[in-house]
Amino acid sequence: MLRTVSFALVAGLGLATSAMAQDTIKIPNIIELSGAGATVGTNWKNGSSMAVDEINAAGGILGKKIEMVFIDSASDPGKARVGIQRALDDTPIAIFGPIYSGSVSATLKLTEEAQVPQIIGGEAANLTAQGSKYIFRTSFGQNVSMPKIANYLRDGVKAKTVAVVYVNNDFGKGGRNAIIKELEARQIKVVADVSTEAGQADFAADVVKVKGANADAVFVYTNEEESARFLIEARKQGIDKPLIGETTLLGQKVIDLAKDAANGAKGHVGLTVDAAIPAVQEFGRKFQAKYNYKSDHNGMKGYIAPYMIKAAAEKAGKLDAKAIADALRGLTITPDKTPGILIEATWDETGEIDRISFLAEIKDGKQIITETLPKLKK
Amino acid sequence: MTMKTLGSVLLTAILAVLILAPADLTGLGLPWGGFRRSDIDVLTLWLITAIAAMGVNLIVGYAGQETLAQAAFLGIGAYLTALMTKAGYPFVAAFLASGLLSFVVGILLGFPALRVQKHYLAFVTLAFTVFAWLVFRNEEWLTGGVTGIQNIPRPTLFGFRSKPALVYYWFALAMTVALALVMAWILRSPWGRAFTALRENAIRAESLGVDVRTYTLLAFAIGSAYGGLAGALYAPFVEFIDPSPFALGPSLLFLLMVVVGGMGTQAGPFIGAAVAVLLQNRLEILQSSNPAFAHLSYLLVYAILVMVLMAFCPTGIVGLWQRITAPRRRPHADDKGPILGQVKS
Repeated sequence: MLRTVSFALVAGLGLATSAMAQDTIKIPNIIELSGAGATVGTNWKNGSSMAVDEINAAGGILGKKIEMVFIDSASDPGKARVGIQRALDDTPIAIFGPIYSGSVSATLKLTEEAQVPQIIGGEAANLTAQGSKYIFRTSFGQNVSMPKIANYLRDGVKAKTVAVVYVNNDFGKGGRNAIIKELEARQIKVVADVSTEAGQADFAADVVKVKGANADAVFVYTNEEESARFLIEARKQGIDKPLIGETTLLGQKVIDLAKDAANGAKGHVGLTVDAAIPAVQEFGRKFQAKYNYKSDHNGMKGYIAPYMIKAAAEKAGKLDAKAIADALRGLTITPDKTPGILIEATWDETGEIDRISFLAEIKDGKQIITETLPKLKK
Repeated sequence: MTMKTLGSVLLTAILAVLILAPADLTGLGLPWGGFRRSDIDVLTLWLITAIAAMGVNLIVGYAGQETLAQAAFLGIGAYLTALMTKAGYPFVAAFLASGLLSFVVGILLGFPALRVQKHYLAFVTLAFTVFAWLVFRNEEWLTGGVTGIQNIPRPTLFGFRSKPALVYYWFALAMTVALALVMAWILRSPWGRAFTALRENAIRAESLGVDVRTYTLLAFAIGSAYGGLAGALYAPFVEFIDPSPFALGPSLLFLLMVVVGGMGTQAGPFIGAAVAVLLQNRLEILQSSNPAFAHLSYLLVYAILVMVLMAFCPTGIVGLWQRITAPRRRPHADDKGPILGQVKS
């Protein structure tokens, strides 16, 4: 009896999923909605939902309304794979996510086989090096951002020695490996290589290590909360060397948490709501008004993803996965035609993104853009 | 028809459904298009999870020990298989080596069990899981660290490439059936009775000549080997591994599966794994494909279901089943006697 009931239940759940409207197109997002990446995934979800609402209000893509489907990867590569496979079974025009690089690694072969463009949030350098023609980044890979930081350390900070502090996960470790390679190529010596944990609360011992190394500059590559804690401890112990970061160190959340200790932190910022670009600031205001908190770069990544598909589909002239991917390769999307892209961006053959980025500094509790770095290829 | 033949007829029927249902049978003239690839993948994940849960069931359900280390053994098997197959060794060799290595490490992990019991033992195995996870994550030269190992090949066996989802599923099913038969044989052998004796009363078992030391170690070794073999199937399934599925959380989940399914029963691990993998997947699909449920957290619903189940049915789903069917099956049973599967007070 119980068996019958449970079978009926499972079957019922299955049937409930098959209803589908024809005048809308579904875009599945396989993102980190639970587990370690829940914050990251939620930012992406909010950003992409907001963009889709705007696109639908303006008539959709090629006359079709978009419906977002959110599938939880639980921050686990195996579950992400099952989720992507499920999304591919419905032959979608595109797939969004995952954001964790490990989950992207576990899934990019599937989208490549199915020839469906996969708009990813992952930043690890090796993702675009795996040969898939169907992944497209929404932010710089570490293979792009780290050379920019290394140049800044050499030319802007004029550092001869650098201490590297990183968080030991796929994000932090990948960045650490990339920056060390770039620093060595520029004859800058890495005098301390300090690994920290995600969620670490006490950075006293790490700051002692960094201080002892007496480097010309300290490169801090951790997530937002940890960055703030590190900055507070660094000020407490009186580190007077420049603290340099990449995107996360200069984020609004870090400023909110570290308060005065954040002042003086410098670095390179790929995507930031604080960029002195009206469209970006407008996005920041809309996001704040809708969700009642300030978006981080993952919210922006999620926001531009639907606009990438819109621009590519309009160029291709049809809502077809392969055509959209073909159109996206080598495409430059400009804000005057597609305002939602926020900043002009170009995708190359491997799915790497190219756009302007910023050198910034935190002054009096605000992120100030000191220099705008041009696109790598004009 | 006796209960025994009824049972084997039922098992054969279930097996036939598991073999045929995912396949496209229209070629045979039957109106059945088979399962979608993603559903086949979920079933494969269920089978692999069930193999690992079988191991936990042996250690916890039959031998009465504790383990929170099964995900670590899954990891040992997965990493060894990934490294060996990528180095060009045949899958069969990697599969056997994964089982063997887990067996040996399982013996080592069994030693503390000779000295400590219950919660203390749980903590020892918990520490081992954390240790193994740190090795997977930090020994980058071997495991690729947090970036993991990519492009793990799916094996070619007897000339069949197992790359297609359905073929790999059948392969995993064959392995699961084989390992379930081995487990059934172990449990029916004198070893199995020795394990149960160990659980019921270790001192009495020893006084009857059961070598408590050997059998405790053996339970850990065999149970862990099942974890390693499951890992050997997991790595080519996902074709990518990183340390996250082998952390402490998943280890706790394996214990939960065995308890939910029904500890010390042979169907328990399969049912528990179904609750953990299939039910969670169905709930997730329900939420993500119906806008009406978009604000529902499927994990919350899932957690509540499991809590209700545990509150009203501490012997798991198998225990519940037995409780429902027991009076009908044995009309002359003593109604004051203990019901099969009931928790001993």
